[in-house]
Amino acid sequence: MKFNKQIVLVTGSSRGIGAAIAKAFAAEGATVIINYIKNSAAAIETAEKCKELGGSAKIIQADVSSGEQIQKLIDEILQDFSKIDILVNNAFKPYIFDSENRKQFHETSWNDYQEQLDGVLFSSYTLCQTILPIFKKRTKGNIINIASDLVARPTIPYHDYMTAKAALIGFSRNLAMEVGQFGIRVNCVAPGLVYPTDGSMNTKEGLKELIINQTPLRRIAAPEDVAGPVLFLASSWSGFITGQTLYIDGGLVMR
Amino acid sequence: MNEKQVIDSLTKFIIRHKTREDEFDTLALQIFEYQFNNNLPYQRFCRQRETTPKTVQSWKSIPAVPINAYKSLTLSCCRPEDIKRTFMTSGTTGDELRGKCHHPTLSVYDTSMITAFKARFMPDLKTIRMGILFPTENEMPNSSLAHYLALAYSNFGSDGSQYFITTEGVSLEKLFAELERAEKNSEPYALLGASYSFVHLIDQMEKSNQTIQLPKGSRILDTGGFKGQSRELDLDDFYERLSERFSVPRASCVNMYGMTELSTQFYDNGNQICPSKKSGPHWIRSQVINPATGIPTPKGERGILVHCDLAHFNCVATIQTEDIGIEIDNGFLLLGRAKGAEAKGCSMAVAEFLKIAQG
Amino acid sequence: MTLNLGYFQGIESSTTEWKTLSFDRGRGAIEVAVPVLSETQLKSLCTRVKKMSQTYLKTIPVSDLVNIIDTTISSFLDRTNPYRQQAEDLLPRITGYDPEMIRLGLTSYLKTFRKVELNRFLSEDFSNPKILDEFQPLPKGGLGRAYGPDLLFHIWAGNVPGLPIWSLVSGLLVKAGNIGKVSSAEPLMASLFSKLLAEIDPKLGECIAIVWWEGGQNKWEEVLLKQADLVLAYGNNDTLRQIRNRTPITTRCLTYGHKISFGMISRSALDTGKSWTTAHQAAYDIVRYDQQGCYSPQIFFVEEGGAVSPEQFAQFLARELENFENKFPSRSLTIEEASSVASWRQSEELKAFSEEKRAFLADPNGRWSVSYSETAGEIYPSGLNRTIQVFAVGSLREVPSIVKPYKAFLQTVGIAASPEELIQLASQLGAIGVTRISALEHMTTPEAGWHHDGRFNLLDLVTVTEVERTAETAAEAFSDYVD
Repeated sequence: MKFNKQIVLVTGSSRGIGAAIAKAFAAEGATVIINYIKNSAAAIETAEKCKELGGSAKIIQADVSSGEQIQKLIDEILQDFSKIDILVNNAFKPYIFDSENRKQFHETSWNDYQEQLDGVLFSSYTLCQTILPIFKKRTKGNIINIASDLVARPTIPYHDYMTAKAALIGFSRNLAMEVGQFGIRVNCVAPGLVYPTDGSMNTKEGLKELIINQTPLRRIAAPEDVAGPVLFLASSWSGFITGQTLYIDGGLVMR
Repeated sequence: MNEKQVIDSLTKFIIRHKTREDEFDTLALQIFEYQFNNNLPYQRFCRQRETTPKTVQSWKSIPAVPINAYKSLTLSCCRPEDIKRTFMTSGTTGDELRGKCHHPTLSVYDTSMITAFKARFMPDLKTIRMGILFPTENEMPNSSLAHYLALAYSNFGSDGSQYFITTEGVSLEKLFAELERAEKNSEPYALLGASYSFVHLIDQMEKSNQTIQLPKGSRILDTGGFKGQSRELDLDDFYERLSERFSVPRASCVNMYGMTELSTQFYDNGNQICPSKKSGPHWIRSQVINPATGIPTPKGERGILVHCDLAHFNCVATIQTEDIGIEIDNGFLLLGRAKGAEAKGCSMAVAEFLKIAQG
Repeated sequence: MTLNLGYFQGIESSTTEWKTLSFDRGRGAIEVAVPVLSETQLKSLCTRVKKMSQTYLKTIPVSDLVNIIDTTISSFLDRTNPYRQQAEDLLPRITGYDPEMIRLGLTSYLKTFRKVELNRFLSEDFSNPKILDEFQPLPKGGLGRAYGPDLLFHIWAGNVPGLPIWSLVSGLLVKAGNIGKVSSAEPLMASLFSKLLAEIDPKLGECIAIVWWEGGQNKWEEVLLKQADLVLAYGNNDTLRQIRNRTPITTRCLTYGHKISFGMISRSALDTGKSWTTAHQAAYDIVRYDQQGCYSPQIFFVEEGGAVSPEQFAQFLARELENFENKFPSRSLTIEEASSVASWRQSEELKAFSEEKRAFLADPNGRWSVSYSETAGEIYPSGLNRTIQVFAVGSLREVPSIVKPYKAFLQTVGIAASPEELIQLASQLGAIGVTRISALEHMTTPEAGWHHDGRFNLLDLVTVTEVERTAETAAEAFSDYVD
């Protein structure tokens, strides 16, 4: 039980990758905070699953694009548990991945870029600002951000979204540099196409085949595939790793 | 749970004859939650340790408050106006801070005391004629020991039981008259009191070369420590002399280990060998821990005693004492107080500093 | 096989009683034997050492002594030397300190006694070190010669490995015969050093003896106190008081009592670039020998107004103490030491949540703790063994008045500040009795010639016999070439 008694906040964990991560932590004894915006039924189900797996869970509704709601979220966790050990920034503003009808560069306005920066970075930025004083007080903490392997190799160029994800990686590295001396680690995981999730429900078979052909491990990631590396980065096994990005795409990209 | 529910559950638990470990655990965690929610300084203490009722699964993980905390904090769940009785630790100097334990009711304390006392000191008799070597409750209303002895007296003392000490001193004449009367009678007699009172008594008797032959079935209960003398070395000597003076076999000389900061007491089964094995009733559990790490020491190794006393519901049930002990099967050995380390190097340590600072 | 420690010549080992000391500090149990000489044996040892000091030691030049000691130290610095290896193997087991800490500490400490450094000891105290060999002109006129005692009796304290070597070397440099009583906590280094020295120069070896007896006032101590010309003792005030009282009035008694040392950190050392390094250096001084030395910091005063706040500095410090657990893991504590730490921690914890503006950062496994307070109140020792207090101050200039009442206990102050601040603070601190100011990370590595507690390592040990100018002048008249 690698995460026994640890309090783990996974934003946007009612379903998809977030839920898979939450359940994986729970199976290792953690107390997981399942954060969701709207889908309380899914959140409750995920929480139940966590308890069945041997951990415990608490669901808290909060929109992490709002600074105020982030503060409430953190306060509620501290009220109940007095500490937070791990933060997984998984929630992001929904983006439509449509390889056939994506916005090309000349169609992508600056405003589109700005929106994605806000959508991707703002909640990570605000959560980090809110949680870091707590981590610093106990001189330890762990932050994991979810990026994308499309940053390293834009198989399909989603200009605005992936630029924001690239910024997230830079953000994580700089943060890692500064907070390492407080005993706080910051890392990213960069999954490729993950199926099934809300974002990939409509991905065409042809695209999937294309990707599989180029992937050494010859398949597409499932949400559970993302969980393992996240747990690794959250555990003491990676105690001397910080500022890194772990690519979870079967070897499609090698960094 | 609210206070009434806590008291109800506790009382039921105490008067049962047999309970399981998991039942103790459940009740301990309920009382912890009650104390966490209602005893705010304790809540802060727990939060400092990053522990809340939601993070604790077993009584062994409940944060143990250090015994000294009672001196500087008010650790109480009930409102000040609901306090029925306050027990205070004895200060040895006049201006030393005294630890306070507030009780909104003494019903649980009393049930705890009476149930355990009956089982450990009076298993064979309903009542016994007893002599108390300690002032009455009225004279010392803030002494938990005075209350304890008063309970013994009123619940288990048969006609003719008496007190022989007031705050002025001991009435030796009265005491010896009674002891001589007991000698001639064939009924068992009991003497209960503070250990240091017995020390003075034995000294007195040795000087005047007196012995009393108390009848078969007589018994002695001492408690409270020897005030500054080394406990380990003198114990054997003390019980040998005690047994000799009163012709009470060492097996019937029982030591009670208790404190103001608990509502339950530990007993041994006599002191044929010292130190004797101490144990408590099913509503109190103990651990022996390394004081720096808080981790339990391996069985058989010395450490600091931590007690989880469910009956102590209004303050903090789990306390870290300054007593050194060793865990043994079904109990523990009490080995004395933990003294601070003398600095062996050249850097000044707190104990030395305080000595100098206090002049 | 139990290792026999202590060292002496002229007494049959077989007629000596030995006491076994057992150590189990978490790095492997070990037993050593220390000699318990009888009163008669001790008396004859005193006579022997005195005689050798008079007939041999006082006749050889100081420069020869320097060479012999230097050769001994070089051997000890050589990691392949059997004595050095023995020290590296046994000291961790005896003291509980991490083997890396011992290895690095030994080398750093022993370097203080190489030839160049020994000459520093000499020239620090004597403008003309030849005054130890023969009569030399004195600045005031006339001639003088410095004589060390025939018998210098050392009473050594325990937990800083190798502590005895400092006063032993000082004693040898002034040509004293030395008998030293080792502490039960660390009986090894003085013994090994003496044995090695005796191998290099057997006659010098006869001027030293390392002995042991159970602590407390006793007949053995009486013998030495009566026989010695000079007594030098380390310990707490109670111990020192009773030693001094039992030393004959005609014998000088030098005492080194317990001290509190502390650090001061200016805002100029707390910019975003340098502050981590400052914290690292501060932590090093804390972990070296777990604060057992008189020079070890127990408090840090941190100035507000830098880019890094005092509270943040306390967090860095906590983090560094955690990092040091990798480099120099904590040793396991006796139950008394653990209780001391626990009771200090509890008291600080209680303050942290009943008083505002405090924080308590601690390792959950109890290996280190940092108690931070926004206001510097009463000063008192930490719990030692990697427990430290951090106080925020508006300006470092406030500190001297805060610590002034404790003048008798102050010794070393580690300072991280600009040159101007350093000088200004030095004069304030000197005025209130601080005797040593060093950089951070060097509080616990005093340099050769350090005036321990402001005293003189060699000068304090000697008496100077002077031939006054009047005697010189008068003698002129009696020469056979007088005009």
